[in-house]
Amino acid sequence: MSKLELENVSFVYGKGTPFEKAAVKNVSVSFDEQATIGVIGHTGSGKSTLVQMLNGLYKPTSGRVLFNGKDINENKKDLRSLRFKVGLVFQYPEYQLFEETVEKDVGYGPKNMGLPAEEIAARVRRAVEFTGLDLSVLQKSPFELSGGQKRRVAIAGVLAMEPEVLILDEPAAGLDPAGRETILGEIENWRRANGATVIVVSHSMEEIANHCDRILVLNKGELYKYGTPKEIFGESERLSEFGLEAPQVTRLCNLLREKGIALPRDIYTVDDAFGAIEAAFKGVGADA
Amino acid sequence: MLKDITLGQYFPGDSVFHRADPRAKIILGIVFIVAVFLADSPLSYAFLLLSTVLMIAVSRIPFKTVLRSMRALIFIIIFTSVINIFWTRGEHLIFEWKFIHIYREGLTFAAYMVIRITCLLCGTGVMLSYTTSPIALTDGLEQLLSPLKKIKLPVHEFSMMMTIALRFIPTLIEETDKIMSAQRSRGADLSSGGLIRRAKALIPVLIPLFVSAFRRADDLAVAMECRCYHGGEGRTRMNKLHFGLADLALTLAFAAFTAGIVLLNKVPLNVFN
Ligand SMILES: Nc1ncnc2c1ncn2[C@@H]1O[C@H](COP(=O)(O)OP(=O)(O)OP(=O)(O)O)[C@@H](O)[C@H]1O
Ligand SMILES: [Mg+2]
Repeated sequence: MSKLELENVSFVYGKGTPFEKAAVKNVSVSFDEQATIGVIGHTGSGKSTLVQMLNGLYKPTSGRVLFNGKDINENKKDLRSLRFKVGLVFQYPEYQLFEETVEKDVGYGPKNMGLPAEEIAARVRRAVEFTGLDLSVLQKSPFELSGGQKRRVAIAGVLAMEPEVLILDEPAAGLDPAGRETILGEIENWRRANGATVIVVSHSMEEIANHCDRILVLNKGELYKYGTPKEIFGESERLSEFGLEAPQVTRLCNLLREKGIALPRDIYTVDDAFGAIEAAFKGVGADA
Repeated sequence: MLKDITLGQYFPGDSVFHRADPRAKIILGIVFIVAVFLADSPLSYAFLLLSTVLMIAVSRIPFKTVLRSMRALIFIIIFTSVINIFWTRGEHLIFEWKFIHIYREGLTFAAYMVIRITCLLCGTGVMLSYTTSPIALTDGLEQLLSPLKKIKLPVHEFSMMMTIALRFIPTLIEETDKIMSAQRSRGADLSSGGLIRRAKALIPVLIPLFVSAFRRADDLAVAMECRCYHGGEGRTRMNKLHFGLADLALTLAFAAFTAGIVLLNKVPLNVFN
């Protein structure tokens, strides 16, 4: 049994109104534990809706969300404590900051958990360090930070609750390229240190390819596939049917293969590509 | 959920009412209200009821939708009719039991009240809230009130404020929803505890909301200035309001309606004798 599972989950917005819209359709999946799971899909494919069901913000119109084998919506009173175990970072989370200082803001979640003050302080420091912020920001007002720093503070606010499952909805959207890379690396480090599971929604295939162990592909609300990056990116033609592009290196290798260079189909990181191309050309060199 | 609150009751469509100029509709709406209060005989009340039903039919707004808006007022309607039934004194006693006296006058008066309130609500609803978008309504009001500019009332500024407010209500509702979800994810408990605890729990929602409202206001001001907005002076419109065929049709129909009510008031119809 996996920690977090979806069982025939569907979600309909505005049910019974003329504006009814099925956003998630009959999705069943059991998420791997202690892994980084990427969620990809064209815009409007239901990714944000799906992740908001995972911590009980939305209740599935039909189907069940299971955490440790128990339906999370069975007892409404348990939802609050569930949210400490399944932490969710929203799209553009910097707009949720409200406290006078960064320290208090990051401590808001742990404080709601009812932890003692020393424990809160320790967690806040750890979380802030993980997100690569200097500890000197702790006493600053969150409103005087830069956009990227605010984003990190907001993510730290959820990390500080030390959830067993951490969900991030496009954590790197709108950041500079270096910032994108480091933020995901830091989350990866945090996951390893805490033995947690991370579910991350992203539009960048490079990010997904570099950081994820499993990928969930949504197409118009339906689950297309849940599998390893090799399985998903190995059939990049199918992805383009849903308006998704394989990572750039995968496409490059596909082009090279069309030109007659023998490369495997399931390359998705620059390192793999480098090795494979080198090997292919060594072969050419030996022939000559 | 907050999102379920709809703004106004605008029901998009393509009827005469939808196509008519908002200014014409505001004026005819006032005419309609006056006409409703002019009705004074059984026949004119019947005519009023019939005309209102016809109006709803022509506007192609589902009857169910119109009647649903009456739900909020059902209490007032029942209350006034009960008062009228039991407290009106007249000549024709039809029921008597201990201290309860019911006169025929009371019954008819109560029936008139119900018809009057119902028609008033449904009629003005069809004329204004259901068939006119809030933005068109403020536009119409601005132009109708524009003579007041002569006495230095900032009519344009008021209507611009209204328009902007209307435009941003859905945005703010959506944003509130989002912030509430985000804080709930951090364990905020927004729906339990006493009044003070609940008010306190709202702080993490209200502060981000205000911050973002100010940010939006700032952005909007800059964007308006970049497009050379400088108040109402000499401003032209993209959608010029015209007095068109639909307006002519409506005006004629309402003239006939008012005349009908006044004439039917004169027709003696003594159903009671
Ligand atoms: N509050 C809402 N009310 C009605 N429909 C909604 C609402 N939120 C989302 N939808 C609809 O549900 C569908 C899925 O939306 P969702 O936000 O889950 O997509 P997404 O995959 O996160 O997209 P993106 O990549 O753009 O963030 C969309 O078609 C959207 O129009
Ligand atoms: Mg989304």
